[in-house]
Amino acid sequence: MKDKYSEPNSEGFFGSYGGKFVPETLMEALDELEKCYEDIKSDLEFQKKIDRDLADFVGRPSPLYFAKRLTEHFKGPNIWLKREDLNHTGAHKINNTIGQILLAKMMGKTRIIAETGAGQHGVATATVAARLGLECHIYMGAEDVQRQSLNVYRIKLLGAHVHPVESGTATLKDALNEAIRDWVTNVDNTYYIIGSVTGPHPYPMIVRDFNAIVGRELIHQSQASFQSLPDAIIACVGGGSNAIGIFHPFIDEDVRLIGVEAAGQGIDTGKHAAPLNDGEPGILHGAKSYLMQDSDGQIMATSSISAGLDYPGVGPEHSFLKDSGRAEYIAVNDESVMKAFHQLSELEGIIPALETAHAFAPLDLICSEFNEDQNIVINVSGRGDKDIASVAKLEGIDLE
Amino acid sequence: MNRIEKQLVENKKNNIKSLIAYLVAGDPNMDDTLSLMHGFVDAGVDVIEVGVPFSDPIAEGPIIQSAHDRSLANKTSFEGIIDLISNFRKKNTNTPIVLMGYLNSFLKNQKAFSRFDDVGIDGVLIVDAPGEYSLKDLGISNANVVSISLVSPTTTKERTKKICNASSGFIYYVTLKGVTGSSNVNLEEIKSNVIDLQKNTDLPVMAGFGIKNKEQAESISKVADGVVIGSYLVESIFQAKKTTDYKKIYNYLSEIKSVINK
Repeated sequence: MKDKYSEPNSEGFFGSYGGKFVPETLMEALDELEKCYEDIKSDLEFQKKIDRDLADFVGRPSPLYFAKRLTEHFKGPNIWLKREDLNHTGAHKINNTIGQILLAKMMGKTRIIAETGAGQHGVATATVAARLGLECHIYMGAEDVQRQSLNVYRIKLLGAHVHPVESGTATLKDALNEAIRDWVTNVDNTYYIIGSVTGPHPYPMIVRDFNAIVGRELIHQSQASFQSLPDAIIACVGGGSNAIGIFHPFIDEDVRLIGVEAAGQGIDTGKHAAPLNDGEPGILHGAKSYLMQDSDGQIMATSSISAGLDYPGVGPEHSFLKDSGRAEYIAVNDESVMKAFHQLSELEGIIPALETAHAFAPLDLICSEFNEDQNIVINVSGRGDKDIASVAKLEGIDLE
Repeated sequence: MNRIEKQLVENKKNNIKSLIAYLVAGDPNMDDTLSLMHGFVDAGVDVIEVGVPFSDPIAEGPIIQSAHDRSLANKTSFEGIIDLISNFRKKNTNTPIVLMGYLNSFLKNQKAFSRFDDVGIDGVLIVDAPGEYSLKDLGISNANVVSISLVSPTTTKERTKKICNASSGFIYYVTLKGVTGSSNVNLEEIKSNVIDLQKNTDLPVMAGFGIKNKEQAESISKVADGVVIGSYLVESIFQAKKTTDYKKIYNYLSEIKSVINK
């Protein structure tokens, strides 16, 4: 029998990926976080509190929905949708912030910081901070502040401060840089809620564990709906938190795991955000993982229609799953994403986030590999309300 | 013996406090960096830290971040920096040189490490490499280069011991919780932490991050073996409109060197 999957190791490595590569000032804070997390993992009271919040505040479990018209359209396997878009705040991101804010509170921290790309994590963080009455600061690339203005306003309505980041490429990676700098400076009273399975250990593990509720629910729901486990699970991958959340409980099972990266303007143009498809291992934001870098080790600017996937790195666990062959990673370009965005809206009455639309873009190809008795599940990681204005703009429609 | 060890041991023997100066290679351009390095030495600088620019320098404040960006806009490369040191060594074979930067630059340019001995690069200070790792642990093998580590106000006693054991050359004490160039230095706290640190190591302890003026430098050098000046120099280099303005920078460094040895 194969050993049960147990990554990361005690040093925070998934195979050779991950680790803790941060300025010395943060090392103690990471150790403290790790210890605190180990304590609460086995604390039944804490777990009950999380479960209660996920049920009453977030609205879990999220449904597993049979996409009848989409299935008929592709004439292949049954297509099921895991509806994370129905969560409070509109995406999977809240699964993580609900857990981390309780950790912050337990550690006695009074100030919360976070980075955000599309703004979904910023909203999810501001939401839980408001609920506990904690001061909250969100770092967001200045370019993303422009293209996700609706979420910026939502964050402000929730009482948090938004700090536009002008440095570097003014997108998600620069927001992370700035959040880390804030943390180095205010480490005594500040908790940093990282929004994806990226960053130094123990973050990739913690964020994964809090998101894995999605995969755990799916085990029961797929048994109830089609009396077996899915034949494949598909999710979009930027940092990779929604994907790892739905993949993780299935790693030891006979289920194909397919991650979809942002090919932006096309892999061969170099203007994309697909490090697993066209990157190489390196170190960024505290962890070793695949990333997009030039021949001198400088991190490259990325390009994606979706702010949430516009990131040159990826969670270290995805790098490990790629190298081990346990998960497959493909990439789809902006054009096919727009097509999928409209297709899902028109066929199923679900307007997905542009990030999420990536998971639907390769369905033609994927469905051809399965027969009509099989079942595939797509993680609908978030809803598209936040993207309406930018999609209209891209299509030359004036909403004013 | 490595140049760093030689210089700092000698300084300690002669009761001289060391002055370490930082600049970013290629800001404003490589020719100026070269002449600034020689000017630093003439002004009394004991060790030069040459900043290797990185696209995502997470430990730097706005001043040094901007310098990294300017340097990268000038197409500064890792090989180009090694060429810079090689040029510097044509006139100066004594002053120790430390490359300070981020791990990804070093890992991506491992081939260049074979040139370190030839051109005379004496140490590396990798800001995001855990101090308890040796260069070998990180997959970088060059026995002659010393690995300088940071100890911060938040470092526990247990980690301090591990870091001291894995370090050579000197220990860099980070004087504040924050990024480079911040202004929240607490002189009394720094002194007591440096004294604690010295109980764990025989290596010289240099203090830096946020030291700007003569008063701070003088006060800290009462306990530390030397001080590191970074952001203040980088900003002064940026503000200099013509190369003759660099004289003011050299005067400032001479004054610092003399107050720390008062």
